[in-house]
Amino acid sequence: MSDLNVAIVIKLEPDFSEGNVSYNPDGTLNRAETKNTLGPHSAIAAHAAFYSKVMYDAKISIGTMGPPIADSSLQMAQRICDAEELHLYSDRIFAGADTLATAEVLKTGIEKMQGKIDIVFAGHRASDGETGQTGPQTAWKLGFTFLGNVIDYKVDLKERTVIAKRMVSLQGFNDIVEEIEAPLPVFISVDPAYKANFNTVLQRLSLEKYKKEAKIRSDNYKHYLKVFNAQQLGVDLKFVGLLGSPTIVYKVERIPKGKATRQAEILDGSNQEDLRKAVAKMKEALSAMVIK
Amino acid sequence: MEKYDVAIIGGGSAGLAALKQLSNLGKQAVLLEAGNKIGSKNVSGGILYSKRPKKGHVHNVEDVYGDIFLSEAPFERKITKYILHSTSKDKVYSIDLTAAHEYESNFGYSVLMNKLNGWFAEQAAESAQRFGGGIISGVRVNSIEWDEKNDRTIIRTDELEEFEVKAIIAADGVNSEVAQISGARPKFTPEQLYQGVKVVVKLPEDVINTRFNLIPDEGIAHLFAGDITLNHIGGGFLYTNKDTLSIGAVYHFDSLLANPTEPYTLVNSLLKNPMISEFIKDEVPTRGKIDKNLPQEEQIRNRFAITKLIKSWRELREAYLSQKGKNDLLKSGKYQSVDEIKEQLDSIHNQLTQKYDVSFVTDYVEVEYSAKLVPDGKRCRMLKPYNKNILFIGDAAGRGVFVGPRIEGLNIGIDDAFRAAEAVARALDKNNFDPNYLGEYYATSVDESPYTRDMKQIDKDYLKIFLDATKDIPSDIISTRYGAVLKLMSSDTFRSVAVKFANILGYERLLPMVESEDTYVKVPIEIAKRLGKTIQPTYTPSIPSIADRVAKLNFNDDNNSHIKVTNPQSEFLKKIITLCPTKCYSLENQQVMLQHEGCIECGTCSQETDWKHPRGEKGVVYQYG
Ligand SMILES: Cc1cc2nc3c(=O)[nH]c(=O)nc-3n(C[C@H](O)[C@H](O)[C@H](O)COP(=O)(O)OP(=O)(O)OC[C@H]3O[C@@H](n4cnc5c(N)ncnc54)[C@H](O)[C@@H]3O)c2cc1C
Ligand code: SF4
Repeated sequence: MSDLNVAIVIKLEPDFSEGNVSYNPDGTLNRAETKNTLGPHSAIAAHAAFYSKVMYDAKISIGTMGPPIADSSLQMAQRICDAEELHLYSDRIFAGADTLATAEVLKTGIEKMQGKIDIVFAGHRASDGETGQTGPQTAWKLGFTFLGNVIDYKVDLKERTVIAKRMVSLQGFNDIVEEIEAPLPVFISVDPAYKANFNTVLQRLSLEKYKKEAKIRSDNYKHYLKVFNAQQLGVDLKFVGLLGSPTIVYKVERIPKGKATRQAEILDGSNQEDLRKAVAKMKEALSAMVIK
Repeated sequence: MEKYDVAIIGGGSAGLAALKQLSNLGKQAVLLEAGNKIGSKNVSGGILYSKRPKKGHVHNVEDVYGDIFLSEAPFERKITKYILHSTSKDKVYSIDLTAAHEYESNFGYSVLMNKLNGWFAEQAAESAQRFGGGIISGVRVNSIEWDEKNDRTIIRTDELEEFEVKAIIAADGVNSEVAQISGARPKFTPEQLYQGVKVVVKLPEDVINTRFNLIPDEGIAHLFAGDITLNHIGGGFLYTNKDTLSIGAVYHFDSLLANPTEPYTLVNSLLKNPMISEFIKDEVPTRGKIDKNLPQEEQIRNRFAITKLIKSWRELREAYLSQKGKNDLLKSGKYQSVDEIKEQLDSIHNQLTQKYDVSFVTDYVEVEYSAKLVPDGKRCRMLKPYNKNILFIGDAAGRGVFVGPRIEGLNIGIDDAFRAAEAVARALDKNNFDPNYLGEYYATSVDESPYTRDMKQIDKDYLKIFLDATKDIPSDIISTRYGAVLKLMSSDTFRSVAVKFANILGYERLLPMVESEDTYVKVPIEIAKRLGKTIQPTYTPSIPSIADRVAKLNFNDDNNSHIKVTNPQSEFLKKIITLCPTKCYSLENQQVMLQHEGCIECGTCSQETDWKHPRGEKGVVYQYG
C-alpha cells in the first residue's frame, strides 16, 4: 500500500498546434476535422502528479469524462505520470454538461478510485472554452481544500499535510508567491508555470525508473483502463449532463477582430533586398528611441 | 548526504560498458553524462571491432552486453571489405587490405554513436537499476573532493546535490576534466593527439548496396592517402552505414600546427576527390527561382508547398529504396504494391518539376558535420591509469590507437571498462580502495591486455600484411629519396626481412618513420600517379560552407562560455583560428577572440585555454555522431 494516493482529472481537447486544427468557413472550430490531444494544462497536471510518484512513490489514478475516444488522453497522461489506474466516464447522458455537472461526474469517479485519494490534480483550465471552474467545483463537491495556481508543492507524509507555493497575481500589483500548508486531502489546480525539480541522484534515478515504467504501461494502457457509464458510476442523473447543468448558454458571439492599428509588410527572408529593408527599418526604429 | 558505491563520469561507449559490466558483477554504480541525451556528444568514425588475439584475451562488446548485441544492437553494416586508395588528382590506385581488417578479428561493424550509445545506455541502465544504480544525463561533474579526515569522496556537479562514492571510473573522453581536477595527468599535447573531422552523407540503402556492390547489411571501408591529405600526416576514410556514409579525415595535430589547414578544407578535399564524389552522388531536388511577379502571399504559399512536397518525396524515396522501408509501407496498408509506391513517388516528382519548377540534379546530401580530438595511444597512453580511487578508461586514459591505417578506440575503451569494473568490484568486496589495491590491480590488468602488451607486435604484423598487399607495386616506383621503411617495399629481398629489420631498428625509431609524410603523402601520390586509374568526375559536388554546416547542427545554447581565453596573444591560439573546426576564433587588434556559440567541443583549442565541457544539457547535440 502506498502512503499517498493521488488522482488527476484531465481533458481531451482539440489540438491547436499547427497543422492539426481545422476551421469551418465561418471561422468556428471544425471539431470533426481537428485532431484531439491531451489538453496542455492537463499535461501539466500530470507532470505535477508525477512529482508525487517520484518523490513519495504515490499511486496515481487518472479520470476523464468524455466520448470513448477520450481514452487516448488517458494514455497520453499515463505516458507522462506512470499511473496505475485509468478511468473513463463515458455516457451519452453526460453530453451537454456544464462545469458543475462535469464536477459531479468527476467527484463520483474520484470516490471510486483505488485507495482513499489524498490529492487531486487538475489543470489550470481547459483550452477549448472552459472557464476554470471545474476544478474548484469538484473540490467543493469532494469537500477537499482547494489550492489554486500552485507552482510547487511538497508533501509531509508523517504530518499528512501539503505545503504548496501559489502564484498570486492581482492586477496592478506585482505577482506574489504565497506559501500555504494544508491538511490532506487537497485539490490542487496547477499553474502553467509549474516545473518539477529533481536535484538529488536518488530522485533522478527514480525519475528514470518511473519514466521507463510509464512508457511500458502506456503502451499497454488498455490493461489499466476502466470505462464507466452513468449507471456503473452510480451518479444521480439529476446532477449530470444537460439536466444537471444550470448554466444556459444563450448566445455565443465571435470575439470581434480588433482593427489593426499597425501596418504589416511581408518581407521575404530569403531575399537579400528584403532583408536589407528589414534592417533599415530596425535602424530607423532604434534611432527614434531615446535611451535615457 | 546520499551515498553510492561507484560513480562513472562520462557516458560514451567506454563509460556505458563500465556501468553494464559493474552491473553484470552485481555492483551499484551511477553514471553521469553531461549531454542531455546519451550519445549526443559522442563522435566516432567508426568501426567497432571485436578482437581475438593470438595470445591473451581482450574483452569485447559482446562479452559485456551478451549475445543480444549481435541480434539486437543498432549497428549499421558488417564490414567485409577493406580497401586503401592512394590518390593524386583524378588518379587512384587501390590496394586490398581486407587481410588487415580481418587480422585477429571476430567482426567489425560500422556504427553511428548516437544510435549505438543510446542502445548501450538502455541495456546498461536496465541492469544497473537492479542494484540501485543507473544513468543520469544532463549532469556535468565539476569537482571532486577527497575528504581524507572522514575517508570519503564527494562528487559535485553543476546540477545536483553533492553525493558520496567509494570509487570513480573516469570515462570523460579525450578532454578529461577529471584528469585535470584530480591531477592525474597533464593535458595531452599536440604530439600526442590527432584531430578527426567527419561528415555524414545521406544515401538510400539500395543505392549504397548497388554502388558499393554489397549485399544487404554488408559494408565496406575505404581508406585514403596521398594528395587528399593536403600534405598532412594522417588520412581519410569512407565507411558505409545502412543508409548513410561516414566520411572523415584524421590528421596528426602536430602536423596541422606546423602548417595549419582548416578542418573543413581537409574534409572537403576528400569530398572533392573524384572517387569519393562519385561514391556520394545522388539525385537532389533544387528549387527554381520563385516568380516574383506573384502576390507575396502566393509566393510564400508556394514555398511552403515545395518544402512539404520535397520532404514527402525524400521520405517516400528513402523507404522505397530500402527493403525494410518498402515492407513497412506495405504492412501499414497505405500502399497495396511496390508499383503503387513507385507511382506515388513519380507523381510527387512530376508535380515538383512541372508545377513548382523544381529540378533534380546530381549532387550529394550532407546531414552532419562533426569533429573531435583523438588520443594517439602510442604516444599518450597513461602509464598509470589511476589516481587515488579513480580509474581512467577509454579516451580519458589516452587509449585510442592507430593500428596500421585505422583508429581503434571503441573496442579498447570497452576492454578498459571491463578491466576497471573487475578491479572496482574486487575493491568493493574487500572494501579497500587504496591505490595500491584498486589502482595497481587495474594498471596491471591494462598492461596485460593484448591491446597494450602487443601493440608493437600488432604494428609489425600490420606492416607485413601491408607489404604483402603491395607486393605488385614495381620496385622502381618508390625513389630512394623516400623513407627507409617504405623503400623496403620496393625490394623483393628486403620485403621478406622487413619485419626483422623493423625489429633491429627498434619500435621507437620505426614509429616516426612509418608515420611520416613519405608514408601518408609522397609515396601514395607517386603510386597513384604512376599506377593509378583515372576517374572522370561526372559532376561537381556543392559543398556547404562552414556557416551552413554549423547552422545545420543542433545546439542547446548557453550564455556562459565554457571556454575561457587566458592569453589572447598566444601563438598557439592564433593557429587555432584556422584549426577550430567551426571557426569560433578570430583575431581582432592582435588579440585572439572566442565566440563560443557554435563550439562543437572537439578540444582542439584546449591546450592553451581554460577549457571545460559545457554545463549539463548545454552545447552541441549530435544526431548521428
Ligand atoms: C573522426 C574519428 C574517427 C574514429 N574512428 C574510430 C573507429 O573507426 N573505430 C574505433 O574503434 N574508434 C574510432 N575513433 C575513436 C573512438 O571514437 C573513441 O575512442 C571513442 O568514441 C571514445 O569513447 P569514450 O567513451 O572513451 O569517450 P567519449 O565518447 O568522448 O565520451 C566521453 C563522454 O563524457 C562526457 N563528459 C565529459 N566530461 C564530463 C563531465 N565533467 N561530467 C559528465 N560527463 C562528462 C561527454 O559528454 C562524453 O559523452 C574515432 C574517433 C574520431 C574522432
Ligand atoms: S572552440 Fe575549441 S573546442 Fe570548440 S570547436 Fe573550436 S576548437 Fe573545438
